[in-house]
Parts: sequence; C-alpha cells; structure tokens
Amino acid sequence: MSALARAWAVCAKDATQELRRKVAIVAVFFFAATALALVSFGIGPFGLRAEDRPPLLSALLWIILFFAAATGLPRAFVAEEETGTGLALRKTIPAVYVLAGKTLFNYILFLAMTAVTIPGFMILLEWRIGSFGALAAIMVAGGFGLAVVSTFLSALVARAGQRNVLFVLIAFPLVMPLLVSAIQATNQATNGQFPLDGIRILIAYDGAASCAAYMLAAVAWED
Amino acid sequence: MSARGPPEAAASYAGGIRVFKRIADARRADGILRRTVPTTIAAESLSKAFSGAPLFRDLSFSASSGLVAIAGRNGSGKTTLLKILAGLARPTSGRVRLETDGARPLSTSEQRLAVGWAGPDLALYGEFTAIENLAFFRRAAGRPASEAELVRRLADVGLAEEAMRRRVEEYSTGMKQRLRIAFATLFDPPVLILDEPMVALDLDGRETVYRVIETARKRGTVLLASNDERDFAEPEQRVDLAGARRREA
Repeated sequence: MSALARAWAVCAKDATQELRRKVAIVAVFFFAATALALVSFGIGPFGLRAEDRPPLLSALLWIILFFAAATGLPRAFVAEEETGTGLALRKTIPAVYVLAGKTLFNYILFLAMTAVTIPGFMILLEWRIGSFGALAAIMVAGGFGLAVVSTFLSALVARAGQRNVLFVLIAFPLVMPLLVSAIQATNQATNGQFPLDGIRILIAYDGAASCAAYMLAAVAWED
Repeated sequence: MSARGPPEAAASYAGGIRVFKRIADARRADGILRRTVPTTIAAESLSKAFSGAPLFRDLSFSASSGLVAIAGRNGSGKTTLLKILAGLARPTSGRVRLETDGARPLSTSEQRLAVGWAGPDLALYGEFTAIENLAFFRRAAGRPASEAELVRRLADVGLAEEAMRRRVEEYSTGMKQRLRIAFATLFDPPVLILDEPMVALDLDGRETVYRVIETARKRGTVLLASNDERDFAEPEQRVDLAGARRREA
C-alpha cells in the first residue's frame, strides 16, 4: 500500500471523526464568524479612507484566518493525546504518515474556512479584489504552510502542559515570515497585481516547512 | 465496580484457570509450539528512572516463545517496562532487541507491527464502531483487511456482531477491554504484550483472554503483567520487578 494511501487513511479518519464530533469545525468557523463580525462593526465599509483599505484589510484578513486556524488546527495531535488514542497511533503507524494525513486534513479545513470567510469579508467590509486568481494562489500556498506548521507544532506540544499557550508562543515566530509575505501578496492581489515574488516566497516557505516537518516528525511525535 | 462478593469472584478465577489448564494440556499433547514468525525479544540491561529515582535497574531477559510473567507490586514498573518493550517509551539506559531466528534485526516498521500491545491506558476512537477502528488501523498500517476478517477477529474476543457495529463510546469497560485485546492481536504479532488484560472482564471475558494468550503463546511470545498471580498459569519464564531480577519458572 502506497505512502499516500496510508496518509489518506489518517486524513479520512480525522475527517470522519470531525464530521461526527464537529469540535474543530465549530471552533474554527465560530471564531472566524465572530472576528469577522467584530471587525465589520469596528471598521465597517466606510470607516477607512480608500487608499488605506487594501493594506489594512489584507492584514485583518490574515489575522482572522491565522487566529481562527489556531483555534482548530492544533487539535490534530492534541485531541489524540487527550482521548488516549495517541498510543494506538504510535504503536501502529509511522509518525510521518500520521503527520502527513493530519496536515492534509488541516489543509482541507483551512481551505474550507477561507471559502466561507473570504466571501463574508468581501460583503461585510466591501472588500474589492483586483485579481481573484492571485488571491486563490496566495490562499493555496499560504494555507499549506500554515497547515504544515500548525500540524507539526501540534505534534510537538501535544504531550506538554499548557499546550495551548505553548502552541501560540512557538507558532508566532515560525509563521511570522509566512504571514508577512501573505499579507503583502494579498495587498498586491487586492490592487489587481499578480504577486509573483510573494507567492514564490510562500512556496519556498512551504517546501522548507514540509522538509523540516518530515525530518522531525518522529522526534516530535514519538519521543 | 463489580458488586460480586469474594466467593463468586473466586469461582470466576477458578473457572478461568480451569479453561486455561485445559488449553495448556491440549498444547502439551500437541508437543509442538507452532510459530508463524519466529522472533526473539530481549531486554538488555534496561533501567528506568523518573526524577532520578530508579524504577528498575539493569533488567535483562530474553524470550523466543511461551509465556513470560511480569510480576511486581503496584508501582514496581510493570506498565513502564511493557511500554518500553512495546516501543512506546524509552528506557533511561539499556535497549530492547528484536530479531528473527536468523538473528536478523527487525526494521523499525517491522518492529512496530511485530509487537502487539494492550494496556490500561490504550484507547480507541469512541466516534467509530469497533469494525471501523480496526479497519482504520489496518489501512493506515498498510495492511488493509476485509470486513469479514475484522468481524472474525472481534468475534474471537467475544464481541457480538451487534456490538461491533455500535460506536465504541457506548461500550462498557469490559467491552472496551475486549476491543483492546483485538487491537493488540490485529496484526498477528509474534510478540504479544498484555498489561493487566483481565481488568474489568467477566468470566466469559477471562476465558476469552486465556484463549487469546494460549493461541499467541503457540505462535510466539506473550509477555503478561498482572497483579494477580493466578493469571500466570505455568509461565515459561518469570520477571519479578520487585528486585528487577529474573528467574526461570
């Protein structure tokens, strides 16, 4: 059986579990909806000058996406430890397949969240996007990096005390390069440009994060 | 908690041991220990300490077949030792060696499936049925199994077909224990590690576990930890953790 099929088995397990339990989905979507509502009430469509809107709204969008993701994505491994199923996983499945499967599930969850959040953001804040293709590329590349780092850190902190605080503390410096690049690229996409350099940086970040996660998966999850 | 009194519990033990002895007699009559994948598990100078205090020191033993009884008082380190042997914890010093009869060391992925383990802190997915749980672990381990095979395995540990199709979160403690045993034997491992497998089981459950132990004992090695000496029927080897020493039974 191929490595992809084994990782897919983990992803399908997480998806089925989530559809039956709805813990991460509710947390992520509820946070995104709340943050979106608060931002729209605070700033509204008329609260900013036209020239200030693209950079500020790009930053706000990624802040919402990042913190919404941070409420649900770290559950990937933490939930396994909390319910005691981590031992069964470690006993039977190599860490790298578990990490790959959970990353895939988190990536799908992130893309689903953006598919709901971005239209809401556009309506509530009258956000106009110049290049939808560029925005889609940014979400695909940026979301993957965020999913990889969040899932890996989840494995790392799963057995630690104060894991939620620890996750945010470690995640902040690690995802900062990704967030800065994604915000700048989103700003360019808003103005109708295709942010090739920004997307290259995001893809490079994805590659580096994936390699690091692959090499450290066993250390983070099994040791 | 069970409301049964001591006489009933004693009868339950006696019944279980009778079944065990019958099976053991049949095994002796066969005169052959059949093993599908000959594997040796060896503990080499294992030591484990928590916060500086040693739980056990320089523990060494080796087993290629039969039942190894892991005995010791509460807190003597039985569960920790079994987790180390199962590859789920690291020793402070020493190592665990797993190899086939040809002295070929097993690869990491072979080791993962060559040692089956069930302990009190093993949990399976409550949102899934027993069949879904086993199917997932087989698929993710790269060895998918048919539903018929999984049903047979669950029937072997005494789960009714109706129960196999119910979510595990609805199971009683005893049913969860049966499922743990099914998980431990899911890959027909040549080395089976069972930590307090009789906990929460009724007489029928105990008989089932005795049968599982006997089958696994024919195929390879069973390492069994229990606080009840009566669970160790005729072990080939005994590891006493009170002084971290080993003696032949």
